[in-house]
Amino acid sequence: MNDWQKKSPLEWKTYKMVKVAAVEKHEYEGWVLTVDPVSASIVLATFLENEKVSISVVLGHAVQEVEILREGDDEMKQRLSCIFAPEESKAYSPEEHEKRKNDLKTWLETNHIPVTEQGESGRTLCVAGVLTIDPPYSPEECSSSNEIILSRVQGLIQGYL
Amino acid sequence: MPVPVPVGVLRLPRGPDGCSRGFSPTSPRFQALLGGREEEVGAAQEARAALRQRYLRGLAAARGRPTHFSLRAGVRVDAVFGAADVEAVAFQVDALRTPLGVEAAALLRCTDVLAFSFLLD
Repeated sequence: MNDWQKKSPLEWKTYKMVKVAAVEKHEYEGWVLTVDPVSASIVLATFLENEKVSISVVLGHAVQEVEILREGDDEMKQRLSCIFAPEESKAYSPEEHEKRKNDLKTWLETNHIPVTEQGESGRTLCVAGVLTIDPPYSPEECSSSNEIILSRVQGLIQGYL
Repeated sequence: MPVPVPVGVLRLPRGPDGCSRGFSPTSPRFQALLGGREEEVGAAQEARAALRQRYLRGLAAARGRPTHFSLRAGVRVDAVFGAADVEAVAFQVDALRTPLGVEAAALLRCTDVLAFSFLLD
């Protein structure tokens, strides 16, 4: 068990510049955006001169050693957290949220899909007990562990909007 | 034909880790999941979820972008990133440039891929 395998996910909460030694003598250097807990793949970001960012993903099975070169300062943290950040949605008022929720609930019920309200103040819609929809009730706000139901409901909501 | 006599199954008292049947309490996997205090385990699991979400967003950002793949034995190819599957078995790519021409769609096995990179603007 080398040092790399012993690292805990909490170590990657702060952004670090690392050098990754991979098999077949490959070497990669860059800022760690994330380390996938499932495949142990490392996602590195390198800033190029023309304002573009090069993203390199080194697959977990190819990683041999990871050397931490330095920690990121606040400015770097700002730059790195913007990459892959989820898009900001339009801000709706609580009344608009309520209206969107009721319209969506009516639409789903018209399509014979069982939907209930749950959570504090009934903000979350629960579809067939397996999928939840949070405000602002767009396709991106659907969560489910069943990908087939997820894609069907997302398609329905997309068609409705 | 005589019926073959079944061979008795020999059950050893010691598991593969030597201490008992089942997980060794000192193995990293046991420590990460069941060892340690509740808060530590919870915090580590939250960190894992956040890291995984960032990784999935990264894969989504790669979709449709020209990507350079480094495969085993020094093979390097260019393609347009299509998709990755949940078990990390293969990557689907479009317009894979090979010495024999451009393949419209192809699968690259994850075990063959060492690394890949793409540009974000």
